Amino acid sequence: MLEIKNLHVKLEDEDKVILKGLSLTVPKGEVHAIMGPNGSGKSTLAYVLAGRDGYEITDGDILWNGESIVEMEPDERAAKGVFLAFQYPMEIPGVAGLTFLRTATNAVRKKRDQAELSTPDFMKLVKDKAAKLKIDYEMLKRPVNVGFSGGEKKRSEILQMAMLEPSLCVLDETDSGLDIDALKVVADGVNALRGPERAMVVITHYQRLLNHIVPDKVHVLADGRIQKSGGKELALELEKSGYAGFTGKAA
Amino acid sequence: MTVQTLNTKAEQAILRSFEDNAAKLPGGKPVAALRRAAIGAFASKGLPSRRVEEFKYTDLKANVKEALPLATGGAVAGDAANPAGAHFGTEFTADAVVFAGGRGVPAKSGQRHFLADANLPAWAAAALEDVDLKVSADLLLNTALFTDGAVIDVPAGAADDAPIVIVSLPAEGRMTALRHVIRIGKGAKATIVEIERAEDGAGARQSSGLTQITIDDDAVVEHIKVVEARKGSLHLSHWQANLGANVTYKPFQLTIGEGLVRNGLNVLFNGQHSTLDHGAASIMHGTGHADSTLVIDHKVPHCTSRELFKTVLDGQARAVFQGRVIVRPDAQKTDGKQMAQALMLSPDAEFDSKPELEIYADDVVCGHGSTAAEIDPDMIFYCMSRGIPAAVARVLLIESFVAEAIEKIEHEGLREALGGIARDSLAA
Repeated sequence: MLEIKNLHVKLEDEDKVILKGLSLTVPKGEVHAIMGPNGSGKSTLAYVLAGRDGYEITDGDILWNGESIVEMEPDERAAKGVFLAFQYPMEIPGVAGLTFLRTATNAVRKKRDQAELSTPDFMKLVKDKAAKLKIDYEMLKRPVNVGFSGGEKKRSEILQMAMLEPSLCVLDETDSGLDIDALKVVADGVNALRGPERAMVVITHYQRLLNHIVPDKVHVLADGRIQKSGGKELALELEKSGYAGFTGKAA
Repeated sequence: MTVQTLNTKAEQAILRSFEDNAAKLPGGKPVAALRRAAIGAFASKGLPSRRVEEFKYTDLKANVKEALPLATGGAVAGDAANPAGAHFGTEFTADAVVFAGGRGVPAKSGQRHFLADANLPAWAAAALEDVDLKVSADLLLNTALFTDGAVIDVPAGAADDAPIVIVSLPAEGRMTALRHVIRIGKGAKATIVEIERAEDGAGARQSSGLTQITIDDDAVVEHIKVVEARKGSLHLSHWQANLGANVTYKPFQLTIGEGLVRNGLNVLFNGQHSTLDHGAASIMHGTGHADSTLVIDHKVPHCTSRELFKTVLDGQARAVFQGRVIVRPDAQKTDGKQMAQALMLSPDAEFDSKPELEIYADDVVCGHGSTAAEIDPDMIFYCMSRGIPAAVARVLLIESFVAEAIEKIEHEGLREALGGIARDSLAA
C-alpha cells in the first residue's frame, strides 16, 4: 500500500512550494488516477515518488508497504518495487536498449535476492514482452530512446516496466504525444500488469487515457493538494466542467 | 626576416643527437640530403611554441624540457609473445610489423619491407620528398631523425580482410622516430592498425611517428591508431593522407594515458566523390594532454568529410581539438561535418576546441559542433530510477559516450579490441 501523508515539497533551489499537504492512499491491487490542471504539482509528485534530486520535502512522509522511502536513493526505491514511467523518457546515446534493460533487470533482481537472468532467459523474456507491446525487437539493439517517436518512447517505458516487475507503478502523462492506436497499445500493456499485488498511480491531464486504463479511484490535484476524490465517473465530470472549480480560474 | 636563435636545452640536444647519429641513419645519399635539409630547417624554426597556430594549445618548446638520446635499435627486446598488448589476439599479431627502440624486429613472416632496408622502392623514396612535410617543425624533426619504418604496398584490387598491424615499442629513456610509407592500390580494400605502446617500465619515452598514406581511386581503407602514453612520455603522431577519386578513408585514433600526445592528420582530397569518415576517442588521466589537430583539404568537388571526436578527461587532464576544414574555390558540393565532444569528469580538466571552416566555394554544406559537459544528472537519475546504482550508471554513461565513436570502427575484432582498451582505461 502507498501512503502519502501530508506531503509538503518545495524546489530545493528556490522558495517555490509545490505540494502543500498532499495526502493519498493507494492500496495494492488498485489503480488510482490523479488528474489536475497544468502546474498543479502532478509531475512533482511523480518525481518525488521516484526520488529525483532538486526537491525538498519540508513536511510529511511517503510510505510504501509501511516503510518510508523519502530517504532512499532512486535505485533503492526501484529495488523496492517503485517504477516511474516518464512523461519525457531520456535518450541515452551509445547504450543499446538491450544492454540497458539487462543491466536494470539484473540490478533489481540482485537487490531483491532473485537470481540474475541468464542471457537466453533474458532474451526470451524481452522478445516475448516486446512482441506484446508491438515493439520491434531490432529497435532494442539501438541506443535507448534515441530517434524514437513519441509512441515508441512510451512503449519502451512500458517494456521497462514489464521487465522490472514493479509493485508500484507511477505513470506520468503516459498519454501525452500518443495517437489513438499507440494509446491503445500502451494501455493494453499497462492493463496486462494490473494485479492484486500491484498498485498504480496514473497521472494525466485528460480523461481520454482513463477510457483505456479504467481507474478504481480518481483524485483531483490542484494547488498542491488533493481537492476531491471519487470513482471513475469523476473523470467524466471533469471532462465536462474543467478544473475551474478547483483553481478558481479556467484551466 | 629574423632568424631565431636556438636557446632551449632540448633543441640543442636534438641537433647534437642528429650530428652524432647522421652517419648511421638509413637511406642513401638523397635521403641523407633530405635529412640534412630538414635538420637545417628545424634548427631555424625550433620546437613549435604556442605562437605557432597549430601548436597554440600544445607548446612543445615549453613542455619538452629535455631531449632524450636517439634510439637506433637493438636495446629493447619487447614482449615478444604479445607486442600489441593483451587486447589484441594472435590473429592481429602473428604477422605484425614490430619496431622496438626505433628499429624493425625481423618479422616472423618477413613479407613486408622495412624502410631501413637498402632496397627501398622508388615510390617510397619519392614519398619521403613530399613538400607538405617540410613546413612544420615536428615533421621536419621526423624526417631528420627517423631510424626505420614500415613500407607497405597494397596491390590494386587486393581484398585481404586481415589487418596490417604495425607496432611501435619506444625504448625507455630514449627518443625514437619512425616513418611509415603506405600505398594502397586502385580498388583495394585494406585495414591498417598502428599501435604505439610502452612496455612495462616507468621511464619516459619520446617518440615521433609519421605515416604517409596514398590511396588510389576506388579503394576502401580503415586506418586505426592506438596510443598508450605513459606519464612523462611524449608522442608526436602525424598522418598525411592523399586520397584519389571515389575513395573511402576511415581513420580512427584512440589515445589513452597520462602523457603528452599530439595526433596530427592532414587529409587531401585530390579526386572527386571521396569520403573521409574520421573517428577518435581520447581518455586522458592525471596531467595527460591529448592534442588532435586536423587539416582537411577539399581541393576538388563532390567529396564528403565527417569527424567525430570524443574525449573523456579526469584529474587535470587536457585535450585539444583543432579541426580545420578548407573548401577550395573548385570544391563545389562539398559536404563537411565535424563534432567534438568532451566529457569532463573533474573540475580541473580542460578542453580546448577550435573548429575552423575556411570556405571559398559557394555551393557547399558544412557544419561543426563542439560540446564540453559533465555527465548529465538527468541521465543518472533515469538509470537509477530503473534500479541501476549511481556508480554503475556513471560507468555505463561514460562508456557509452566513448562507444559512440568506437562504433565507427568497421572491423569487428578491432572494434572489440579498442572497446576493451577504452574500458580498461576508464576503469583505471
